[in-house]
Parts: sequence; C-alpha cells; structure tokens
Amino acid sequence: MDSNIIQIKPHLKDRNSVRVLQRGAPDFPLLALTLMLLAFGVVMVLSASFPSAYYDETSNYDPTFYFKRQMIFAVVGVAAMFFMSRISLGTVRRFTLPIFIAAILLLIAVLATPPVNGARRWISIGFNFQPSEIAKLALILMYAGMITNTGKRMESFRYGIVPFALVLMLIVGLLVLEPHISCSIIIFAVAIVLLYVGGVRMRYLIGGGAIATIGIVIAAHTMSYVKNRVDVWRDPFGPQIGDPLYDAAYQIKQSLWAVGSGGFTGLGLGQGRQKYLYLPEEHNDYIFAIVCEELGFVGAMAVLILFALLIIRAFTISMRAPDRYSSLVGVGISTLLAVQVILNVAVVTNFIPCTGISLPFFSYGGTALMMQLAEMGILLSISRSIPARRGT
Amino acid sequence: MAKSKTPPAGGRKPNHKMLSRTLFVLIVCGIVAFFALGIQLFNVMILKHDEYESGAIAQQVRRKEVTAMRGTIYDRNGKILAQSATRETVILSPADIRKNDEDAAEICRELVEVLGDKYGVTYEDLMKKAQKTDSYYEIVTRRIDPEEADALRAYKEEHECTGIWLAPDSKRYYPYGSLASHVIGFVGLDNNGLAGVESEYDNALSGSTGRIVRAADGQGTGILLVRYEDYSAAAAGQDVTLTLDATIQYYMEKQLKQAVEDYDVQNGAAAIAMDPNTGAILGMASLGNFDLNDYQAVDDKTLAAIEETESEEERQKLLSDAQQRMWRNKALSDTYEPGSTFKIITLSMALEEGVVSMDDTFPCGGSTMVRGRNEPLKCWKTTGHGSQTLTQAVQHSCNVAFVNIGQRVGAEKFYEYAENFGFLNITGDKDATLTARTGIDLAGESGSIWWSENTFYNPENLSQLASASFGQTFTITPLQLITAVSACVNGGYLMEPYVVREVTDPSGKILAAHEPTAVRQVISEETSAEVRTILEQVVGDPVDGTGKNAYVAGYRIGGKTGTSEKVAQDAAGGPKEYIVSFVGVAPADNPKIVILVLLDTPSNETGIYISGGQMGAPTVGKMLADILPYMGIDPAYSDAEKTYMDKTVPNVTGLTRSQALDALQELGFNARIIGDGEKITSQLPGGATVVANGTTVLLYCDAEPSEEPEIMPDLTGYTYSAARDELAAMGIFITTPSSITNPNAQSILSQSVAAEEEIDHGTVVTVTLVTSDDTMLGRY
Repeated sequence: MDSNIIQIKPHLKDRNSVRVLQRGAPDFPLLALTLMLLAFGVVMVLSASFPSAYYDETSNYDPTFYFKRQMIFAVVGVAAMFFMSRISLGTVRRFTLPIFIAAILLLIAVLATPPVNGARRWISIGFNFQPSEIAKLALILMYAGMITNTGKRMESFRYGIVPFALVLMLIVGLLVLEPHISCSIIIFAVAIVLLYVGGVRMRYLIGGGAIATIGIVIAAHTMSYVKNRVDVWRDPFGPQIGDPLYDAAYQIKQSLWAVGSGGFTGLGLGQGRQKYLYLPEEHNDYIFAIVCEELGFVGAMAVLILFALLIIRAFTISMRAPDRYSSLVGVGISTLLAVQVILNVAVVTNFIPCTGISLPFFSYGGTALMMQLAEMGILLSISRSIPARRGT
Repeated sequence: MAKSKTPPAGGRKPNHKMLSRTLFVLIVCGIVAFFALGIQLFNVMILKHDEYESGAIAQQVRRKEVTAMRGTIYDRNGKILAQSATRETVILSPADIRKNDEDAAEICRELVEVLGDKYGVTYEDLMKKAQKTDSYYEIVTRRIDPEEADALRAYKEEHECTGIWLAPDSKRYYPYGSLASHVIGFVGLDNNGLAGVESEYDNALSGSTGRIVRAADGQGTGILLVRYEDYSAAAAGQDVTLTLDATIQYYMEKQLKQAVEDYDVQNGAAAIAMDPNTGAILGMASLGNFDLNDYQAVDDKTLAAIEETESEEERQKLLSDAQQRMWRNKALSDTYEPGSTFKIITLSMALEEGVVSMDDTFPCGGSTMVRGRNEPLKCWKTTGHGSQTLTQAVQHSCNVAFVNIGQRVGAEKFYEYAENFGFLNITGDKDATLTARTGIDLAGESGSIWWSENTFYNPENLSQLASASFGQTFTITPLQLITAVSACVNGGYLMEPYVVREVTDPSGKILAAHEPTAVRQVISEETSAEVRTILEQVVGDPVDGTGKNAYVAGYRIGGKTGTSEKVAQDAAGGPKEYIVSFVGVAPADNPKIVILVLLDTPSNETGIYISGGQMGAPTVGKMLADILPYMGIDPAYSDAEKTYMDKTVPNVTGLTRSQALDALQELGFNARIIGDGEKITSQLPGGATVVANGTTVLLYCDAEPSEEPEIMPDLTGYTYSAARDELAAMGIFITTPSSITNPNAQSILSQSVAAEEEIDHGTVVTVTLVTSDDTMLGRY
C-alpha cells in the first residue's frame, strides 16, 4: 500500500543510506497483550472506584464517575497508540529536543500551581495533566539520542557519564521540587538501565551503585521520612492508634488485608470489601490489591503473567530493532513499563517499602494511561521497522 | 511479501554488547522480578490468607451489629406470651470523636442531660469511656425509650456528631407477667435466653445477628448502604408456639395460689396439666412464681429478711439464693417420693401381668410382715381395711394390699415396668443407683433416684419392693409421674412430654413441628381401661373414695391421692413434714387432661388434716371445674346431682300463698310465711337468686323483713345442709361453687363473709365444701 511507503530523508550520519522503506505490520502479540491489559484495567477501575465515587462529593456521588473518565482516557490513549505506531522512529528522533525542552518547561510550570496534598504535580486543563509522565518519555528519547550520538565514547567518563548525569539531575531536581520522589526513582532506574545498555563501563555503574546503596542506607537511618517508611514496611501491624507511624502503616495494613482476603479464588469481581473506604487510593496506586481481593491468587497471577509477557515482548522488539536509536527507545520504554509494574506490585504486597507508584493500564489517571498507550505505540512503530525474515 | 527494509532512525544496528546487556535486563525485569513477585503473592494470599482475612473481617464488621428481633412465644391458641419491641442502644465512639476532632466533654454533657436521671448515666463514667480513643464501641446505656432516642438523633444531626451512635436493639416484654414464668423463662442483658423456653430455644428465638460495614474513613457520614449478604445478613428470630394454654395455666395458677394460701404451704407448690394422648404440656405452674418483666425481684418478705443482714457479701448471697429458689421449676427440677399416687403404676403393672384381677380380694389387718424387716409394715389405717376388692384397695389406698400386689409382680418385673414407664434406665451395672429423665424440651430437668438392682432384687430383703409398691424409698420428678400416669390411662402409651408445638419463621412457615411421640406401649388398651374404671371409683364413690374431694358434678373424674413424709426432714429429727399430692384424670372414660398437683409442706397450723385427699384432691377438683367447661367438655348431671345442686329461687312475689307454696315445692324449696296477707308482698331471697337446694324461702304477706343486721356465725365444721338451715332461720342464705355429692356429709371449709361480721337479711353467703368424715383422715 502507498501509505506504507515512506520517503525518508537521509540523516546526516547516514548520508549513503537513502532508501525507500517499506514498513511491516505492527507486532500482534504486543498489541493484543496491551489491549487485554487495558480492558482488564478499565473494568477494575469500575469495580475499585464505585464505592468511593459514590461517597465523594468531588465525583458528584456518581459511582461510575472514575470509570467513565478512564474510558475516555483509554479511547484517546488507544488513538494515540495507533497514531504513534504510524510515526517512524526517525521522525520521533527529530522531535526529541523539542519534547525534552517542553517537558522541562512543564516541570517548571507545574511548580507554579497551588499544592495538592503538599505536592505540585498536576496542571489542570479539563483534567489533571501530569507533566512528570511527559518527562519520563522525554528522558528516554533524550538518552537514546545522546547514546546513539556518543557511540563508542560511552565508555569514557567524560562523554558517557557527565552529560547524562547533567540531564538526569535537571529532571530529577525539578521532580524533587514538586516533590515527586517515586517518579524520580523510576526515572533514575530507567536512566541507569539505558546507560548500562548504552555501553557505559561496568566499573562506573558498580561504583555508582555502591554510592547509591550507601546513600540509601544513610538516608534510611537519618532522614526520618525514609526511616519511617522502612519501619512501617518491616512491621505494618505494629503501630497502634496514637503512634505517629499509625497513619503511614494504615495504608499498607489495609492493602495486606485486601490482598490476603483474596485467597486462592478471591471474593468475586465487584465483591471486594476493602474498597469500601478502608483501603486508600484503591483505584489508583492500590488497585492491584483490589484485583487480588476480588480475583484471588489465580486472577492476580493471570495479570502478572500478562504483564511479564508484555514486558518480554517489548524487550524482544527492542532487541530486534534495526538501529541503535530505536533499540534504545524500546529498551527505555520496556524498562519504564517493567519498573512501574514491579514496584507497584511489590509495594502493594509489602515486598518493598511503600512509595506511590501506579500500575500501568490499571491505575486511574489520564496522563499516565495516555502516555503509556502512546509509548506502546512507539514500540509498535519499532516493531513495524523490524526486517522480516528473508525468504518468506 | 516485499522485502522489508530498515528505517535509518539513527545509528548502526545494535552491537553484541548492547544486545547481551538488553537480554540481561529482559531476564531481570521480565522473569526474575516476576518470579519473586509471584512468590510474595503466594505468601500473602495463600499462606497468610487466614491471618489477613480475619484482620480484614475484624475491621469490616467492627461497628455495626444489628441484633435480630427475637422471636415471639405464643401459647397454643396464639396468645402472645413473650414479645420483643424495638429499642435503641446508645453507643459512644471515642475513636470517631478523636478522628473528627469532636468535643468529648460536650458530647458527654449532652448524653448526661438526655439520659442522666432516667438511666443513671453519669458524666464521670462517660468521660472514662471517652478516654479509650481507640474504641469505636462503648455502650452508654441499653434500650432507651423512643423519646430519648429522638432527642439524641436530633442532637447528632444538628451538630453533625459522629461520636454517638444509636444501634437498633430490642427489649423483651411478657404480657402476662408472672403467668407460666418457669416455662417461658426470661432473657438476660444481651437478650440471651437464661431460663425456660427462652433458654432451651434460644438459637431459634434469637435469630442471627446482622452486621453492617460502616465507613472507617474520615468523612464520618455514617453507614454504608451495602450489606454483605454472605456473612452479615440479619435473620429475624423464629417464633415458638407452646403446647401451653394460657387460660388453663391461669386456672391452675389461681387454684394453686389459693391452695398455698388455704393450707399455708411452706415450701412451694407445683402443678402440671398434660394431654395424656399426646404428652403435650397444657399447663405447668410452680409457686412462688415471679414477674418475667422484672425477673430479678424477689418478694417483699424475702427482701425484707435480706435487708436485715449486715454484710453486703452476705446480702448478695442471700439474694442470689432466693432468686435461684424462685426460678427453680419445681415441676421438673425437684424430685420427691410420690407416695400413694404411684399406686396407679403398681396397679397397672399388676393388672397387665395378670397377677391380680378385678375379682381378687385383699385382706388388711392394719399391718403386714415383710421379709427382711424386723417390724411389721403398717397401713395408714392401723385398724385395718378388712377384706377388700381390688377396686376398694385402690379406693382405700391400702398399703397392705399394695405390698401384697407388689410382691405378686416381683422385684425384677417391677423394675422392668418402672423402666418402661420412664422412671429409670437399667444400665447393666447392678450395683449402681438408677436414674432416668423424660427428655422434655425444657432446661433444668432432674433425674430420678432408685435403688440399685442388687439391692432391689435381694430375695432376702423385700422391704424395698414393699415400700416401692406404694411409692416410697425412691424419688422421681412430678413430670415423670404425670407422664407415666398418662400412659396408664391413655391406652397404655408412654408419650414423650413436650412444651413446644412448633417453630415458625416470621412469615408463619413451619420450620419444625413436634409430633406426638409414643416412646413405647407399656400396658394394653384393656388394662388401661380397667385402670380408668378403678381410678374413677376413687373419686366418684362418695363413701369409699379417698379422692372424692376432687369430684366435679356433671363430670366423670378419676384420680389418686398421695401423701409422703419427707424422709430427710424426719431423719433430721424435726417435726414431720409432708408433700401432699393428687393426680386427676378427666373425663375418666376418655381422658383429655391429666392434672397433678403437689403441695410441699402444708402448715400444721391451719387445722385442716394434712393429706392428699384433703388438700390435693379439692385443688385438682377446682381446677377441673374451671378447665373442663373451658375445654368444651359439657357436664352431664346425674339425677342425684340434679337434686343436690343449688337451685334458682323463682319470683313468687304477687302470687297468692298457695300458688307461691306450690311453685316453691315443685323446685324442692321449703317456705315460711310471715304476716297475715293473702298475697306475697315480698320474699327472701329474691327471685332468680341461686341458693342451696332445700333452702327455706321466707315469704312476706303484708309484712317487711327486719332492717336489723345479724351477726355472721362461724360455719366451720357444719355440714352444708346444717349450715343452710342455720342461716335460713336468720334470713341469710348459702350457695357453693363446690360440687355437692352429699350435703349431709360435706362440711364447710371456708365462707365468703367472715364470722362475727354484721350481715343483712337476705344476703347470700358463698362457701366451699370438703368431704371430711372420720374415715377420711389418713396419710394416703
């Protein structure tokens, strides 16, 4: 088809490779897994959110308030996904710097908004737009481009570490000002993985890791904020009413009660009890606890396996990408997805200390959902550029 | 397919190092991490499932418990004996006060203002409860009346107060107060049944408590609308219908109370009425009874005695003991030696075994020797009954004859029948004392106590068998006796006694029904008919019958007296004390009701001879006189009864002398004419008055009765006809509700106008009668 034939202008560095390219079909398993998880997630938003929506003034006491909005985000997000799947990575790359600058400006702009619950994370534009979601993609695109440009010099400290550290510090610094620690952690993790894949010497990474570990240990013992979270993580049932840790422990306690209530087969879809104003954030960060409670071990494992398959598929596409830039963008998006899923489930099951990370495709939230779907679109776009096996 | 080409997005193809590092990330992120998460999920969801689930349920059901409305207890005709009404319990939630930053002191002040005086709520107590800031549930006071509940609701709304809750609860009401108090029983603070049917059927009556999950969150707007059907639906209590008939119960209690008063009974009294054909309990009374609506209150006399005691501890103990005594259902919790009423059982087994026949004669010389006894065993009539037929032996309640009958049955057969009648269970351990219970569906049933088999069967010592033949040396419950007597008269079937006829759900659907259950047939229909015939002679024979005081004119009544010495009391060396009893069967030819009355320790001071015949029989007779017409059994009077019955005086005023005399004589009245006129100008008693048969009517001809009052004489000891004539001479008249079998033999027991009181001419005095000739005085 004509539409599949795109005339690409040669990049400066690939002066000799002027070619007419024919792009393949988007990767079906990736698309199918994404849509399955999305459908699953939207249903769970309805189940998890209807009690709090029913009782809350901000949702107009409409039990389907969050569900309806999530449906709209999902439709827009799927459109964004298909749109992105049609944009070649070359085009994406050309927009890297504008996207990055826009993300930085938004991160600065958000600091001017009035704080909600002590943090400035949202810009209200009909819905609450969250600039940090843009920042995640901006960092991936920026790093992918920089690594591709740096090439072999990635092994040096001067070229392989310093510029990347500056970019990372700029974004993380702005996020800490919001403050948005959990997003900083995710971005930090994605950055490390990209640098690792991008060819940074192991000794720098190991050294950085050692410094980070020491920093975390010191923070855990000195910063009361971090120390409290660790204490609560170790014994969520310890703090009693009156204890300053009680409210922090409350959330993880409620989550464990919800997850534990599920048993093998769960209480049945919609039959959960913890969502009745017991479990906070039940349709956001803790929606997976509701999945566990209602669908049991069987349902929770099904969700985890779907995610694992999606992540493996995403990395596989990245590995089969025709060029480094595409591959690195793919690795970044795959890592971003994996880190969020893993940390979210680990927090909900109290595997690690609590931090506010949402579950992709499940947690309620417009910016995040649309960005995640757009990122899947980019992976689909990469999949379309993978050369088909010869002879077929 | 066309050959695909790569877009030159940037850079060369990823090199080996990139790919291998990506593969490492893939393995870590896509496989290792998920494996770890799966293990953690298994740990939390499966291994710790029970722990976390109970934690979740504990908070989900934490605060809202809805007590189900307790079921209603009905009598057999649907009259309500016990019922619950909705009331609200006030709950303080200090945790909500803390969460929502409310003013505990202000809330406590409000509670004291609304509830203080009426329910004894004090500010200090409340503030103590308000300190427990991790508690959501501190009971302030239970079951308040609607007006206070409304006041608190208004306060809650006005101040948006989340610290006070009103939980639906229920309060128990007993419309008949003390009626059948021991059978119905009562409930405690938590509406849990503590005694009687309330306790025995607590599970059915109480239903299941419902739980509603309430939001634990900060808004504090109240209760979640969703109810968790799977573990928190409140099921209303089931209704229980008794076999009891409130009217029969009322008549029984009325006469039992009267008897306790008349005979100054010291140690309580019991009565049971049973439908002999089904085993259904129609009435069961135990005195003294108590008001179920205030079940802890003891009577004033006991309370006064308790309050004289110095120490608080002692007072508590005395009160508790008094309550336990008061709550004790004598009819099934106390065992006693039945005495001669048991002769019905001995008679039945002897007839069934064929060891006696209606034609046998039984000599009685006042005592008899029994193997194993050093002294002769005396009959209650030490001068002896002479030669008697079987019927006469029962009529006389002759102990000597029954020792003879018992020995004809034999010890082992005797125990076999005792077992079949439900008095004991033979266990196989021949040295063990034996016991049994009826298994009635009421709490608190005691078991009988009988000699071990080896003792009873000892061929060298027949004294146990001899005494057992007339109902002594073993103890049984009144319920066991009436159940066995019912079997003797209903055709031979031992029925399982029961008080609950059915259990129904609130819509009236029957969930459980008690069908009459025959445990076994003990004697044949023919034997049973013979027993009925003999028992009718005990009551119906105005000369020989020791039970004639139970007679009710117009009805065929059978029965047997019982008087037993309280052995323990005797052994302690105190004055002799007796339990007197009577078991009546009516109608004797086709029994519909059996009544047992038991009076524990009548006083020696009343002047009335202490025996079942003098005290038990008239009590049962009066009960039957009320109950039989109520049951729709019409009286059929014999000619003699019609003659003896009290009559209605015709109105003869205005007639001539001869017309008046004719009219009166026709009805059996005598007449005395006062004055000289030709026509009757007035009469005493007036027309339509019911007075004793044979009364001399005073006819005034142009004369007037005297206005001067008379002085009421003491009629005690007079026969009915002597009293009638004595009074008629004074212009006073007499009538009786008692059955008149022989107005020349029955004497006055009580009179409605006390002796020495002034009384006007023409007044009709009501008296009660008792047959009390010398031959009747004996402990039988």
